[in-house]
Amino acid sequence: MLSIFACSEKQDFSQYDDLSITPSLETSIFFVKVQELLINSATDISFFTQDFNFDAFEEVFFADRVLEGVISYELENTTSKPIQIELQFLDENDVLLDSEVFTMDAAPTALLTREVAYGNTGKSLDILRSTSNVRLNASNFGDNVSSSEIPGASVQLRSSAQFMLRLK
Amino acid sequence: MRIRHYVFLLSLLFYASLAAQNKQVLYDFNDIPQALMVNPGMETDFQWYAGLPLLSGISGYAGTNGIAINDIFADDGLDINDKVRDLMVNGLTTRDEFSQALQIDLFSGGFRSPYSDIFYSFGAYLEMDNILYWPKDYAILAFDGNANQLDSRFNLGDLKTRGSTVAVYHFGINKKINKKLTAGVRAKLYSGITDYNATNNNGYLVNTEGQNNTIATTLNADMQLRTSGFGALSTAENQGTLASAFVKRAIFGGDLGLGMDLGFTYHLNERTAITGSVLDLGFMYHSGNVYKYNLKGNATIEGIQINVLQELADLNRDFWQDLVDDVEEFIPFETTNSAYVTFRQTRVNASIRHGFGTPIGSVEACDCGIGGSNNRAVKYRNGIGGQLFAINRPRGPQVALTGFYLRRFGEFMTIKGTYTIDKFSKTNVGVGLNLQAGPVNFYFMGDNLLSYQNIAASNYASFQLGLNIISWGKKK
Repeated sequence: MLSIFACSEKQDFSQYDDLSITPSLETSIFFVKVQELLINSATDISFFTQDFNFDAFEEVFFADRVLEGVISYELENTTSKPIQIELQFLDENDVLLDSEVFTMDAAPTALLTREVAYGNTGKSLDILRSTSNVRLNASNFGDNVSSSEIPGASVQLRSSAQFMLRLK
Repeated sequence: MRIRHYVFLLSLLFYASLAAQNKQVLYDFNDIPQALMVNPGMETDFQWYAGLPLLSGISGYAGTNGIAINDIFADDGLDINDKVRDLMVNGLTTRDEFSQALQIDLFSGGFRSPYSDIFYSFGAYLEMDNILYWPKDYAILAFDGNANQLDSRFNLGDLKTRGSTVAVYHFGINKKINKKLTAGVRAKLYSGITDYNATNNNGYLVNTEGQNNTIATTLNADMQLRTSGFGALSTAENQGTLASAFVKRAIFGGDLGLGMDLGFTYHLNERTAITGSVLDLGFMYHSGNVYKYNLKGNATIEGIQINVLQELADLNRDFWQDLVDDVEEFIPFETTNSAYVTFRQTRVNASIRHGFGTPIGSVEACDCGIGGSNNRAVKYRNGIGGQLFAINRPRGPQVALTGFYLRRFGEFMTIKGTYTIDKFSKTNVGVGLNLQAGPVNFYFMGDNLLSYQNIAASNYASFQLGLNIISWGKKK
């Protein structure tokens, strides 16, 4: 009854349509460590090749909502040889979608960091949405007899991602 | 531009989307039978009363202490995203609540024993209540995410909510013990229709510097959502039998509980009385159609981790699926169906009232009051006093303080005005009107009236109304 006599400023509930909820989420993706003794045990330049299933980007919740993102890589080489790491993004039919190549000198050397943007002015988000496997090719451009003076010498690739998702 | 227009539909939505409410206007309003529901020890002088089914008592409220509809939806040209971010995500705290309650009398009545000065009352009502505390860290996660928030813990305990729909069957006894003291007790049987609660959650989500990878994400969870009745109603809805399933659960076909109300009125002197009541001192046993959803455990992940030397013999395993499986093993999500107990939201009322002015009715003929031979109390033309209300909530008790003035206009009309301070408002002015036309009694109450200048900007609105047939018999 009191409601009938109540006043109200003009409300515009259609504003709800303009509400945008787009959080940026961050977490690690993968970490690969190859020890120097394994590198020395390989006779080919390519000392390690392996495909890894990676369905995170294919998950419907992610694929349907991702707006943009950045994958950050950090490569550390404490071995006595120059190395090259190639990451290949493959779809479920092993068709190459994209690749990232990292080349590093022998130790001592600084961390190699790289940020790869997707969406907007970066690479196509479809690369990520279609990625089902990640292939890692590692090559040794030095010898396979020397050893680094750094204890536990290895090649370590670290990666993390920040993605903006549209929740509304 | 401020405009005047009807907001009835908006208000209905507000009420309908609507925890037990403070009925400060109704409290100790002893011209109204339904006031016995907030103090079974109220002074009564009715011979009998009968409430009109479904109309004898309807009350509800909706409250949001931290924000109002107008703050977000005012047609002010501001970006809603800025308003939501400033006023809600960054403005609200975990003590800010969104709550509502709706209570409808199904039937009610009362009669005085011809052999003693005991007044019996009985009835049944349907009560719905919900409360959600602002889940602040969840909101920050939803709007901002966890990016660039190294070492910032998002508290999973911020989720606190509960609600229920209950049919309550009650029988009360009110007795004038002596000329100074009136006491009452009400027994209650609860028939639970639906219930949900997630009030004891703990845990956190945090990104820290990783041991191997750049970031370690840790989820530590001890969370539980308990529900009862929703599955049965959902099934019934699919079968087209929702109404009958609702009624069945309302008539002891669902969860059961027991409770009681206690109250008293004590005259310090002829004109001054103190009152008190404790309401819904009881519990519910939820055993039918229970679903408990549990998430408990701890996991720290740094993404897929491949140490080639360690994994040399098993490099072809599915590292991604293994990671998912590990998380699900460390933090299992489980559903169980075991019974659980909840306690009703106990409320406490207390007041002091001082009557002044001319007594109503023929006091000489009545010989009422604590000095007279008749046990009936004198009703004065004016009453003034203060009230205290407290309710037990998931984040601790809430308190409201009320000052009131009551004025009787003969025997046909009584008006009570209140001023209340609580967490919702510091300017809550309420009015109650009781009309008596012969045996027909009608009352209507509302509060936070100042907010009706712009109802959309109100943090709180409540109402109570009812229709009764009352007889005072030969004593009147």
